[in-house]
Amino acid sequence: MIEISPEAWDLMVDHAQKSYPNECCGILIGDEQAGLRRATLAVACRNAYEGEQKDRFLIDPRDQISAERQSRELGLGVLGFFHSHPDEGAYFSQTDLKNHWPFYSNVVMSVRGGIFADAKCFRVDVDQTASEEEDLSWPKS
Amino acid sequence: MAKILIPTPLRQFTGGADTVTASGATVGELMGALLAAHPDLKKNLYNDEGKLRSFVNIYVNDEDIRYLSKEESAVADSDTVSIIPSIAGGR
Ligand SMILES: [Zn+2]
Repeated sequence: MIEISPEAWDLMVDHAQKSYPNECCGILIGDEQAGLRRATLAVACRNAYEGEQKDRFLIDPRDQISAERQSRELGLGVLGFFHSHPDEGAYFSQTDLKNHWPFYSNVVMSVRGGIFADAKCFRVDVDQTASEEEDLSWPKS
Repeated sequence: MAKILIPTPLRQFTGGADTVTASGATVGELMGALLAAHPDLKKNLYNDEGKLRSFVNIYVNDEDIRYLSKEESAVADSDTVSIIPSIAGGR
């Protein structure tokens, strides 16, 4: 289970809506205790995918380096990542499966017509052959 | 001894350590020392041909080794080497 803080959630929704009609991407930072992951900080990243970004993203590794540094300074860790699906549902695609790592919580946000619609979270198995939905809790306004 | 930053998914193979120090004049030597100390990391970082996996990025400070001299890239004791999982996708 992963719980997103209000501050982190606001940033994620804002980043997803502003990036529309392109996909956005970012990093989730926080801690984990007794199986509960709490993302207290979200970092908006540059989409470094070279080509059409309406349906693809690549997190800029330089943003990962600075997020890693920031999380260590805060005594926290990188819990996972988020990205958006413009005008598509919040599901984990085959492209997502092949390009994510195990362990991480990966939040997918559906944005329809530029407005946030839904979100789900997924974890990938070690062979990157299957994903499993993880309970996701975000502040409902 | 240069510092190697270990991403969270790989810490289970370094006894939980988030940072490992190792000696080496190049990235290749440093990674060799890292794998000698933590052999279980190997299958996660290298393919069967002994090549670095494509979804693993290695940075010396803020530079991608692909744009330096790959595994021949020089490393000084004051350098920080980061293992960065490549994260991408789409729909
Ligand atoms: Zn996706």
